[in-house]
Amino acid sequence: MPDYLLTTSPQMAKRHARHLRFQWYGRVAIAVSISFMLLMFTAIFVRGAGAFEKTMIAVDIEFAEAVIDPRGTRVEMDLKQGNYKPLILSGLQEVVPSATERKERNRLYKLVSGGAAFDLGERVAAKPDMIGTTQRVWIAASSEVDLYIKGKVDPESDEAVRRLNDQDIAWVTTLQQEGRVKRKFNRVFFTSGDSRAPEMAGILSAALGSFFSLLVCFLIAFPLGILTAVYLEEYAKKNLLTNLIEVNINNLAAVPSIVFGLLGLAVFLNFFNLPRSTPLVGGMVLALMTLPTIIIASRSILRSIPQSTRDAAMGLGASKTQTTFHHVVPLAMPGMLTGTILGMARALGETAPLLMIGMVAFIVDIPKGITDVATSLPVQIFLWADSPEKGFVELTSAAIMVLLVFLILMNLFAVYLRRRLESRR
Amino acid sequence: MFKKILLCSVAAFGLSACGNGGGSASDTSEGTAETTPFTTGRDQIKIVGSSTVYPFATTVAENFGRSTSFKTPIVEATGSGGGLKLFCSGLGDNFPDITNASRRIKASEVKRCAENGITDIVEVKIGYDGIVVANSTKSDRMELTLRELYLALAKDVPDGNGGLKPNDYIYWSDINPTFKSTKIEIMGPPPTSGTRDAFVELAMEGGCQTFDWIKALKETDSDTYKAICHAFREDDSFIEAGENDNLIVRKLNANPNALGIFGFGFLDQNGDSVQGSVIDGTPPTFENISDGTYPVSRSLYFYVKKDLVGTVPGITEYLTEFTSVRASGQDGYLSEKGLIPMNVDEHAQWQSQVLALETLSLN
Amino acid sequence: MEKNNTEEATAETHASAPILIARDVDVFYGKKQAIKNVSLDIPENQITALIGPSGCGKSTFLRCFNRMNDSIDSCQVSGNIQFAGQDIYGPKVDVVALRSRIGMVFQKANPFPKSIFDNVAYGPRIHGLSESKDHLEDIVITSLRRAGLYDEVSDRLDEPGTSLSGGQQQRLCIARAIAIDPQIILMDEPCSALDPIATAIIEDLMDSMKEKYTIVIVTHSMQQAARVSQQTAFFHLGELVESGDTESIFTKPAQKQTQNYISGRIG
Repeated sequence: MPDYLLTTSPQMAKRHARHLRFQWYGRVAIAVSISFMLLMFTAIFVRGAGAFEKTMIAVDIEFAEAVIDPRGTRVEMDLKQGNYKPLILSGLQEVVPSATERKERNRLYKLVSGGAAFDLGERVAAKPDMIGTTQRVWIAASSEVDLYIKGKVDPESDEAVRRLNDQDIAWVTTLQQEGRVKRKFNRVFFTSGDSRAPEMAGILSAALGSFFSLLVCFLIAFPLGILTAVYLEEYAKKNLLTNLIEVNINNLAAVPSIVFGLLGLAVFLNFFNLPRSTPLVGGMVLALMTLPTIIIASRSILRSIPQSTRDAAMGLGASKTQTTFHHVVPLAMPGMLTGTILGMARALGETAPLLMIGMVAFIVDIPKGITDVATSLPVQIFLWADSPEKGFVELTSAAIMVLLVFLILMNLFAVYLRRRLESRR
Repeated sequence: MFKKILLCSVAAFGLSACGNGGGSASDTSEGTAETTPFTTGRDQIKIVGSSTVYPFATTVAENFGRSTSFKTPIVEATGSGGGLKLFCSGLGDNFPDITNASRRIKASEVKRCAENGITDIVEVKIGYDGIVVANSTKSDRMELTLRELYLALAKDVPDGNGGLKPNDYIYWSDINPTFKSTKIEIMGPPPTSGTRDAFVELAMEGGCQTFDWIKALKETDSDTYKAICHAFREDDSFIEAGENDNLIVRKLNANPNALGIFGFGFLDQNGDSVQGSVIDGTPPTFENISDGTYPVSRSLYFYVKKDLVGTVPGITEYLTEFTSVRASGQDGYLSEKGLIPMNVDEHAQWQSQVLALETLSLN
Repeated sequence: MEKNNTEEATAETHASAPILIARDVDVFYGKKQAIKNVSLDIPENQITALIGPSGCGKSTFLRCFNRMNDSIDSCQVSGNIQFAGQDIYGPKVDVVALRSRIGMVFQKANPFPKSIFDNVAYGPRIHGLSESKDHLEDIVITSLRRAGLYDEVSDRLDEPGTSLSGGQQQRLCIARAIAIDPQIILMDEPCSALDPIATAIIEDLMDSMKEKYTIVIVTHSMQQAARVSQQTAFFHLGELVESGDTESIFTKPAQKQTQNYISGRIG
């Protein structure tokens, strides 16, 4: 056998070594990126997992008519705004009879969430026949108690620097011994808006804000982007003007997003007087930001559609517009949608442009439409990360998880659309 | 072509942003435009302004929203200066009703407001904020004077012969031999932050003025005075840590030798991991800031357009809530968020003044 | 538009009257001249083959007949091409109408990514040729029959056109072209990507089609030109060297260049 056919020949050995080496470089690169990603996800998950559960305390509450509705009107607003604090407090005192002084009672009341009284008001307003009965009600614990129950407060540390002192911890222990403390799914996190109290803060208003902004963004950016791309690629003649436009679109794609925020402020808010802090304006700004990305992606997709498809249609006597919209655009649509969704996924993560148009704000109410004031998921993350209260640490990570889920869903939707549209061929 | 349009509009925005002293005619006409096509009367209070006041304003807003039939106000953190600029841009649906500030309104800002038709402003003082210099509880509590703090942070320091030298203090023991010989490492907010402004004014100038010849400069050559007192050192002994105070707290935990500069609220919430240094013999406690003995403290305010009382629903009730004893009083719920309340008399005085809607006059 | 070019059209005598008359055609791509002063007549109901070495301009010339060059920005066509007595580059000529009369089959089979039925039905649909659904079906089936494909695909008309074999795809393209009932079919190397069996099928098909259609075919293969065409035009470096009856071109070429090409010395 001639030796050049054998892998032992020096030249072949060298080639094989190079082949192997390259494969290993690739594997190492993948392993490094995956481990970074895992590290990031684990860190977020470990920190944020706690937020999906919250601590509840069972209190026996006597719904005394004299306190809740002294005039007996049963008007919803009055029931909601009744003074429930003494009811909760006396319920707690039944378990901890030792707390009698004013200061101690204040501390005792702080074991439950500041929102618990409002929560009771809502419940009574929904079911006014509760008045006059005594019931065991599970109410939210304060964020400090919640953190203690979750093991994030060290009871051995110096009492002076803890937000729960030894007395508080003893009370919580008493409550625990009576089986009055449990952790349950944190529904509030998914059903309410922002709050200054971590145990009452939720992601819903931010998520809806993001949703409405992206809706506006899609409705503006998608048709504009597709039409621009189709016109530039299929109709426009190549000349100085179109070259200039092309260069500028490429430049715009690289412009920092805050610049689009400034533009939004100057044009949409100051010139057109559109309402500040709303998903309408947010979506318009994000649409401006995503447009170049969509145009560039769509153009490259259109360019990849073979000329033979256009020839086939034109050879049959289809007009330019028929050729474009019967054949070229349908073929390019999956790719253009993918480009759009990826562009919007980027928009979903933006805070900088929203800062300029007032969407970085404390908003409790749930937005119901594009002209209601709203914030967005990344803004909520930013605001919580910047809050001094410790309970927001886990909420921040939990909000990041929600944002990631949103991103994954959008990308999956892009994959689904692509598959579906491609299978139609 | 797009880019040109973009640049033009950005430039236009820049001009309008810079021209706040001038108060151009277009500003005025825009400001007084009463109806806009998209909003038909507002039923929600809009608040902008300082990020230091933000946690307090949001807390009050939330309680107000829950305990009344009014909508919860929107609170934006734009910074004190940015907030006042928006506030003074005009009366109307698209302009904020209230702006929070971690400093008092300036005469130039009152003038700009007046040019845009906002003549009656109600000033509300809500309490005090201390700026603390803290380190990790893993190391010993520091005791500093303002002078030592200035020497540790300034770009140039007095050389002892009536001149200046570049700051060459590397170890704390270089400044005061009784200190440990650990490296000076201080993390603080960037120049864009209101906390930095207040720190410069109170701590840096305070320390600077302990040198008589520099103090004398204040009257004769205020530019040089500012250059000496306001400049932070640019070597690795001072680290700009960004606007996020939580980040500074976390970094202090990781580096027990470092000091961090941030608002009292963060010290209050993170007392288990960081401790505030004693400054000029006074530790940063609630009481010391409240009675003014702690040297690095400032007043917090918000400003309301009087014309809107009765137009935008809930403004009076919001003012009532904010100035109530249960909110900003001695044991009010804001004190749990780190606000240092005024003493009982001062609080009562501000409360009556605000509820009577007395308007601001800086003279 | 006006039929005053009849004297010129008799430069060469053919069995039938010319349906396409090209006079002094120049084609430029930017500054580069691809076709130099070509005049040629295409007789009706015959197969005319355009042959010549690669890059000689035969495809470019073919594409002048249905103005496919229009879509290339840098391409300029001058001269005069008449179809049934009308200047096809005239200002009032609708290129869509022109292409419905002069169909085209391309080098690479390019069925639409749609069903076999929709591929054939597309032309009649956009030109409004069918009065009803049944009529459209008729047209599709007739076209497929004429293209010799119907028997092979009759049971799977709703399958994608791209699922057919190469030869079948090319016949689908022919069916698609004849579905709009053109007078002329231009074929740009239709068999160059096909195996000999598929090629033979298409050549047979062309032979049967010439009863109804005039065919102009560009081909690389002299054998193919000799087998299928009645008229042959030989191009070299953008010029028409020689044209005439296929038989005479291949047996006694008048020009030395033609002689060299058919005997394999250039190309």
